[in-house]
Amino acid sequence: MINLLAAAIREVVAAVCDRRFSVRRGRAFGGHRPPLQALIVVALAVPALRAAPDLPTLWAERVKSCVAVEFVTELETERMPTATMGTVIDSQGTIILQSGAIDPRVATSQLKDFRVHLPGEAASTPAEYLGQDAFTEWHFVRVADAKIRAQLVPITAFAGTGAPASPSLAEFVWGIGLRNKDEDFAPYIMQSHVALLQSLPQRTAIAQHEVAAPGLPAFNREGRFIGIAASSFGQSFLQFSRRASGAPVILVNVEESSAFTVATEILPHLNRIPKNVTGRPIAWLGYYGLEPMDRDVAKFLNLETQTGGVVSEVLEGSPAEKAGLKSRDIILALDSKPLPSLKPDKVLPTYIEREIERRAVGDTLTLSVLRGTERLELKAVLADEPKLMREADRKYFDRIGFSTREFVYGDAVDRRVKPSSANGVIAHFVKPNSPAATAGLRMDDWIKEIDGQEVKGFPEAFAKLSDIEKDQARPEFVMLVSRGGETAVLRVKLK
Amino acid sequence: MKLATVNPFLTRSISALFAACALASTAVGAVSRGFDRLLNAVVRIDVRELTFEAGAKRYSSGIGSGVILSDDGLVLTNAHVASPRAVEVNITLASLERVSAKLVGWDHWTDLALLRIDLAEVKKRSLKFAHADFGDSEKLFPGETVYAVGTPYGLTRTVTRGIISNNRQFLVDSRGINGYETGQFNTWLQTDAAINPGNSGGPLVTENGKVIGISARGFQGANNLGFAIPSSTARRIVSTLAQEGVVTRSYIGLGLGALQDLEVFYSLALNTGTLISNVDTGSPAAKAGLRGGDILLAINGAKVVGRFPEELPGIQNLIASQPVASTLKLTVKRGTDTHDYSVVTEKLESRVGDEWVLEKWGLSVRALSRAYARENQLDDMTGVLVIGVQPGFPADTAGIFRGDIIAKINQLPANTLDVVKAAQGAYEAKPEPTLFEVQRNRRVSLFILKP
Repeated sequence: MINLLAAAIREVVAAVCDRRFSVRRGRAFGGHRPPLQALIVVALAVPALRAAPDLPTLWAERVKSCVAVEFVTELETERMPTATMGTVIDSQGTIILQSGAIDPRVATSQLKDFRVHLPGEAASTPAEYLGQDAFTEWHFVRVADAKIRAQLVPITAFAGTGAPASPSLAEFVWGIGLRNKDEDFAPYIMQSHVALLQSLPQRTAIAQHEVAAPGLPAFNREGRFIGIAASSFGQSFLQFSRRASGAPVILVNVEESSAFTVATEILPHLNRIPKNVTGRPIAWLGYYGLEPMDRDVAKFLNLETQTGGVVSEVLEGSPAEKAGLKSRDIILALDSKPLPSLKPDKVLPTYIEREIERRAVGDTLTLSVLRGTERLELKAVLADEPKLMREADRKYFDRIGFSTREFVYGDAVDRRVKPSSANGVIAHFVKPNSPAATAGLRMDDWIKEIDGQEVKGFPEAFAKLSDIEKDQARPEFVMLVSRGGETAVLRVKLK
Repeated sequence: MKLATVNPFLTRSISALFAACALASTAVGAVSRGFDRLLNAVVRIDVRELTFEAGAKRYSSGIGSGVILSDDGLVLTNAHVASPRAVEVNITLASLERVSAKLVGWDHWTDLALLRIDLAEVKKRSLKFAHADFGDSEKLFPGETVYAVGTPYGLTRTVTRGIISNNRQFLVDSRGINGYETGQFNTWLQTDAAINPGNSGGPLVTENGKVIGISARGFQGANNLGFAIPSSTARRIVSTLAQEGVVTRSYIGLGLGALQDLEVFYSLALNTGTLISNVDTGSPAAKAGLRGGDILLAINGAKVVGRFPEELPGIQNLIASQPVASTLKLTVKRGTDTHDYSVVTEKLESRVGDEWVLEKWGLSVRALSRAYARENQLDDMTGVLVIGVQPGFPADTAGIFRGDIIAKINQLPANTLDVVKAAQGAYEAKPEPTLFEVQRNRRVSLFILKP
């Protein structure tokens, strides 16, 4: 659940929260009297409603698309169990989990013991982790046992025919939640009405009340699949206590969500099952920091109502650099399609990232940019993204008390150095009160030298540290580390 | 020791009640004639300072202590009591008479400031005061009785007694004085004589009334862990401040570490050299080719010893004392090789640049310093740092935050405070939407400040 909370906090939609409160405060949907015209519509709709099975019947069938997924994150010195929820997408027993279900810092090799629980069942069944898709950010898991697969019903079975069902304002929606493990993940129903539809940048419906557990599906009255619940948004409350009167707090319901990504954003992408556990290839343009330009700035630059994103940095050796993109260029269109006007405007960077990631490595992306007063068309050939932190080689040395990790492209970007000329390794984890910790080593320190010798890369560090770890006679060793642009010499005392 | 909890002891906004109590209190009995004389040289200092942090001009006030050093009215106190931003300094003499004073100079690196009493006023009102003399802090020994005299919490002429707990304490104050660096060039006297907020700038004296330190700090929440700047440092700084108003130091960019137990690893005899743990990027030492992990053996042929942390401030001070733009010969051992490096010193700059407030925009800014740019790994020195915005003013409305760096205004590089002031001048003359290019955590954003 902690992972879900992290995801909720990571959501870029704070501004939407505010909007949602005003909707809640109004409570207009439940109370007001429908005008005559609406009554007539309802009257006409009655036979259709009768034709749809009752909710308990619909619910009983659709629960079969929902599962609880348990896995263990095996860290250097501890095992962290996590339970999350997922939706079944095909007859192969494939399940999708939302992006926040797994910590992006964790290496795929550290994810172990995936098990799937059918709602209300005490027994669980083993499953395989298939990887994460960069565009949808979904994690894919597949049930191993054919017999269990047969008991699952993919969500596509409820998609209906033709275009995916799309929720409309004030529409009745319902969904499924699962209780905790001690109650065998027993399924239950939630229901509400759509209060607001927003593009964040994905089309998202926000209901008045909780609709489904994050990661589980929502449906309309007819039982058609209408979306998957996203991480819930924070809600502002005032907290009154003996100590504080009216202190503002933000509460996030991590178990149930009132926001869901609509079916049109999901059904077309269910075939994006990663071909390998790394999720590669991942289309990459190679810039750092893209800030939306507000309406006043656009007007000042004579761009009228056009949307734009200011590029902060162009990364070394990237497709963006090769295409000639420069820091402070303002991107106005991708492949001649002007950037949409999105609210809040801070979702623009996500929109652009998704536009890149939905394309394939090798595709040409045309960027229309404004540089000073000049308008340019730049053609970038998307490349496979450099090795990610989760793919980096790593090794834990228990006696010394830390993990060393390969220095990857992102580490160079974080530390503002040229990726092509950066050597060394990263201290990925430091065991508390170990020799390394006592010497002053901290997580994310950049180790540049070991025993006065420059560390070129991971294999070299691995060899050196393995020798040190094995050598029981050795009293100490010395590392030169860099932290925040400053170096320090650390003496690790081993005996 | 948690260094982050070190607090400069300066009382801010003392209530009227405390001030009234202070007047009612009486001085403790003297222990010698010299001590008696010293008591007549200790003053209370009330300071009103200009602050810019609120996105507007504001004033803050504080109370500290000080000691008169000469018949011509020089008063020594802490740099965190009186800074160049002081707009009003009032001194309460031992006779309880109040007289105004002016700042002569300050040196945040040693946390010392020098004031001069308005002698014309003293003469006109026929006021009397004594002056104190420095003692030799080098001769102090742990256990020696000392007295702290000052104005804790505004309680005028308070004497507390204790001993020297450590006559050479190494202490790096990472917080500094409102962001200004302090403490790199001296060790500290540690005492258990009670030092409370308001004691700052007051003297730490021996039984004969000789000033051997200036009380400056204490650990918050600890029992009687007080720290004073030794007179050996103060004496030097006072004479420079009195003559020049500033202390100019040299900088080469070395971060030093104690060798402590590393001699075997570096194949060194004990008490030989000191460890260079860091070389600032772009500094003279970096340009000369020095690196972290090198061993500094000698400066201009004179051997340096940095085996223990207590020995490091002396080495830093030796470097800082060299004339600016002079060439130092550093003898450095790297691996098995020993090699001389020529390093040309630069003038040492503060991390905190000049500040200004652009009132029409509700925006307080600070010039970038090299140290700030280095610490924050900025690519260049273009821009000014936002240190405050006033709610409801154009900068705040546009979305500019404290900590942002304004890189350009109307597409012109905002290199200096003058450029920024001129931009606001133009805005004042003709208020028009103004384009700001801002860097926030390396991300570039554009904002419009509207009238």
